[in-house]
Amino acid sequence: MSGRRPDNRAWLGVLPVVLVVAFSAVIPLMTVVNYSLQDIFDQHTRLFVGFDWYREILRDPRFLEALLRQLAFSGAVLLIEVPLGVMVARSLPRSGWLAPALVVLIALPLLVPWNVVGTIWQIFARPDIGLLGAALTGLGFEFNYTSSPVDAWITLLLMDVWHWTSLVALLAYAGLASIQEAHYQAAEIDGAGRWQVFRLVELPRLRPVLTIAVLLRLMDSFMIYTEPFVLTGGGPGNATTFLSQYLTSMAVGQFDLGPAAAFSVLYFLVTLLMCWLFYTSVIRKEDE
Amino acid sequence: MSRIELDGVSHRYPEAPSETFAELELVIGSGEAHALLGSSGAGKTTLLNLLSGIEQPTTGRITFDGRDVSRTPPRARNVAQVFQFPVLYESLSVAENLEFPLKTRGVRAAERRRRAKAMAERLGIAELMGRRPGKLSLFERQLVAIGRALVRPELSLVLLDEPLTAVEPSIKWQLRRELKAVQQEIGATMIYVTHDQTEALTFADRISLLHRGRILQTGSARTLFSAPAHEQVGHFIGSPGMNLVPGEIAEGALRLGGRVVAPAAGAEPGPCTIGFRPEWASVAPSGPDGSGLLGTITAARVLGVRRGVPVGILSVDLGVGVVQVRQALSASPGERVGVNVDAGQVVAFREGWRLPGIGAETGRGAGS
Repeated sequence: MSGRRPDNRAWLGVLPVVLVVAFSAVIPLMTVVNYSLQDIFDQHTRLFVGFDWYREILRDPRFLEALLRQLAFSGAVLLIEVPLGVMVARSLPRSGWLAPALVVLIALPLLVPWNVVGTIWQIFARPDIGLLGAALTGLGFEFNYTSSPVDAWITLLLMDVWHWTSLVALLAYAGLASIQEAHYQAAEIDGAGRWQVFRLVELPRLRPVLTIAVLLRLMDSFMIYTEPFVLTGGGPGNATTFLSQYLTSMAVGQFDLGPAAAFSVLYFLVTLLMCWLFYTSVIRKEDE
Repeated sequence: MSRIELDGVSHRYPEAPSETFAELELVIGSGEAHALLGSSGAGKTTLLNLLSGIEQPTTGRITFDGRDVSRTPPRARNVAQVFQFPVLYESLSVAENLEFPLKTRGVRAAERRRRAKAMAERLGIAELMGRRPGKLSLFERQLVAIGRALVRPELSLVLLDEPLTAVEPSIKWQLRRELKAVQQEIGATMIYVTHDQTEALTFADRISLLHRGRILQTGSARTLFSAPAHEQVGHFIGSPGMNLVPGEIAEGALRLGGRVVAPAAGAEPGPCTIGFRPEWASVAPSGPDGSGLLGTITAARVLGVRRGVPVGILSVDLGVGVVQVRQALSASPGERVGVNVDAGQVVAFREGWRLPGIGAETGRGAGS
């Protein structure tokens, strides 16, 4: 830098990335933004409507309900999966032949495609032939995810916990593996209790991996589509209709391209905002 | 501080083919600075873990002031430990780290602060109290770890597991002096594990030399140097270590290649290993005198200059083995020379262990 003329040719090196990002993200996104500001009748007839679609979506009670449902679902998923994942990681052995075997076993749900997960649970929880549903019915519980909103939510949450807790557990396991034995020995010699060992020895080391885990689970659960689509189709009623479900029915079902585009942009902004809020709060705390 | 006794302590890791230790005997006086010296794999860290309570002996007893602690968990033993690298609570400040062992033992906040502050001032880290360990240098972090170990009142025992491994050589000396000063000040019984003999010799009142799960000898640095109880002690202590060459005892004398090296009236005849330090021999360039040994210089290593004459280590091939002699470099490689060994200091070993009656008195050996 010092005393040398800046060499702008370096920008050429960035060009491939710029092109890839442009075609994969920026241009499609701008198309959506473009749609969201127009009323489209056919290929040649369109009308600029400004922020009308946004106003309409924000006043749509179904959108707000779906958003609330979505927030509740993501919140519940995080509250269950993060502590549970850490607990699973802590109880896994650190060495011996059992350690890799259990890690592989735990990773299995992550390898199952989303729609298959939905199908598995759709059958598993069926009150007539599903192992879980039939067992519950046999025990005298009235369990039916197609008619009871509570049962539908329980099934959905169980399914997500089954599918994704492994991710948190594996990340936390990697974090725990980086703690040397001496840290535990020092805590034992210092007379630290179990909670203090967790809070002072393990949690500081888990912090970066848990940040990633929460971010991934937050984004992913916020965009959940396939599993409720397969399991409940958004029902009973609209009980499990989340944002993506409603968006799809609007865009693909009814071809309301303008409102759907405005919906997409809002959806994107909400997701972005939440991740940003979470991330900055974590980073700021670290800098203290 | 406590008097530490190991009484017939054996230890074996589960599924290990053999014992890490068998029948270990060791007594460490109250307030003593004791070094456990040995190469890696000698069992030093395991022994330290037995003392801290992280490991428990398979058989035998460990007592602190006569109180049997063999099965007592670490937290109840009143010990402190400093590890090879700084082990701190990263999310706590330096002050909170120093106070932590007091906090877990229910010491009141005002007293905790007072003790932590005093220890920080003693170690020269008082201005770091508000900082987090992550922002400190390795040296400062290890100082905090040492402070946290020593902050508790009336400790039975302080264990130091190669605490200077992670520290730059230039700072090692400073930290070692600091440790020694604090040890003398608070009079704690300290056990210092190291593979570095310089560290052991400068820190400790007494040294135990560990080799393959046995304590070969316990004694002062001087004893280990001049009267090694075992070949390995001679080999390990000193730089370079003791010369060890095959010889024999015959007709009441210790002989090397037929020549008499020292009288050995009481010893049983037979083959043995002759040991003498590079400092206990001298090279005569003019050739051997009456009883001297004959050899050829193979190498000369300069270590310094004294009064205009280069001094260092001469390697001499005696036919039965190459020995090293520390002296003025008065001869050059290829020369035939005589080697005179001080008959009053030379020692002899059989099956590893020292033969009595030849050389300096061993004092209290161990393990034989």
